[in-house]
Amino acid sequence: MSTKQTIAIIGATGNMGSAIAKSLSKSNNRLLLFANHQDKVKSVVDEIITGNPSAEVEAIACPVNASWEADIIIFAVPFAAEKDLAKAINEVANQKIVISISNPLNETYNGLITAPDTSAAEELQKLLPNAKVVKTFNTIFAANFASPVIDGKQVDAFVAGNDEAAMETVSELVKTAGLNPIVAGDLSVSRTLENMALLLIRLTMKYNYNWLAGWKVLHN
Amino acid sequence: MYEVFFRKFNEKIQLTEEEVTFVKQYLTPKKLRKKQYLLQEGDICRNICIVEKGALRAYILDEHGEEHITAFALEGWTMGDLSSFIKEEPAMLNIDALEDCELVLISKSAYIELLKVMPKFETYIRILMTDAYMALQKNMTNMISLSLEERYKAFIRMYPNIVQRVPQHMIASHMGLSPETLSRLRSRLNSRK
Repeated sequence: MSTKQTIAIIGATGNMGSAIAKSLSKSNNRLLLFANHQDKVKSVVDEIITGNPSAEVEAIACPVNASWEADIIIFAVPFAAEKDLAKAINEVANQKIVISISNPLNETYNGLITAPDTSAAEELQKLLPNAKVVKTFNTIFAANFASPVIDGKQVDAFVAGNDEAAMETVSELVKTAGLNPIVAGDLSVSRTLENMALLLIRLTMKYNYNWLAGWKVLHN
Repeated sequence: MYEVFFRKFNEKIQLTEEEVTFVKQYLTPKKLRKKQYLLQEGDICRNICIVEKGALRAYILDEHGEEHITAFALEGWTMGDLSSFIKEEPAMLNIDALEDCELVLISKSAYIELLKVMPKFETYIRILMTDAYMALQKNMTNMISLSLEERYKAFIRMYPNIVQRVPQHMIASHMGLSPETLSRLRSRLNSRK
């Protein structure tokens, strides 16, 4: 596809948000970055442009305008902040792809705060009923975006959603980030994916993987 | 966000408030900045677009890489590469923004679903398609039968205010004229006023 897509990254100064922004800035897309601290967003933009002068990336002062302009919206904010953000952008997110990357971890990182019969992604879909919510990147650590190949193996990124075309578009995006997309199923599979992230975090802390670890499905 | 879209809809078919809310679920609001592309040749046209604010143009590139403008769309107009949209084949057209735009997009899946579940939408689309076909026919007959002056006047009637908003060389491209020929034509018309 040669027509550029516009991707809004809301929460672009966090570990995940800035890592995703840097990674996707190498693709044929326009990025609009928003975060509460404008000066920090500008330094992320400067860093990207210094590394890649042809990158189309800019800081934008309003998440609603960013989402209005966007074809794809990435929620890179903590789970707790998703509700207010969803309310603000609901109207302009109509029919658009909204990527949920969050893991609803508790304070001690040993469990999820969502009920077992739901997930952060499904809760976001309830808040944005006319958007096409797709879960991905939640099992990817921020450092993996700079090093998507670990121990000679390309890290898998699972994709879950209810709209086939949206999952196809997101899978292409995952590929441009250097990761291997695996379509895992409908949005309810996010429950498993969010628990897989929890387990990976627990293992990383227990065995000191130094936050460079990922899931890889081995198959013949 | 959808004012022009529903005003146009209501001009043809009256919708109740509930129907407006229902249709809104299927629409994609989209801002496009000046010079950005909505569609590039070779991609599949995934959306039909209605201009709420701003101006778009559609053009093809010939084998020498020269642009030929096939259409403009101002507020209330519909734009898209129809055969690409319907047949899901690579588009011939490039569509870009001449001004900062606010658009309403209807995706293929939304379009099919609305046609299926809402008879008023189907009627509206039938009227739009019929109007578009008549306009096309008119353009073709104008092209063959009218003098340059008459064609220019017909163009101005079709796109009010366009002369103030679009550079002359683009209007010339749309009419298949060189900018110099258009400029001579315009000064001839002006001197007669």
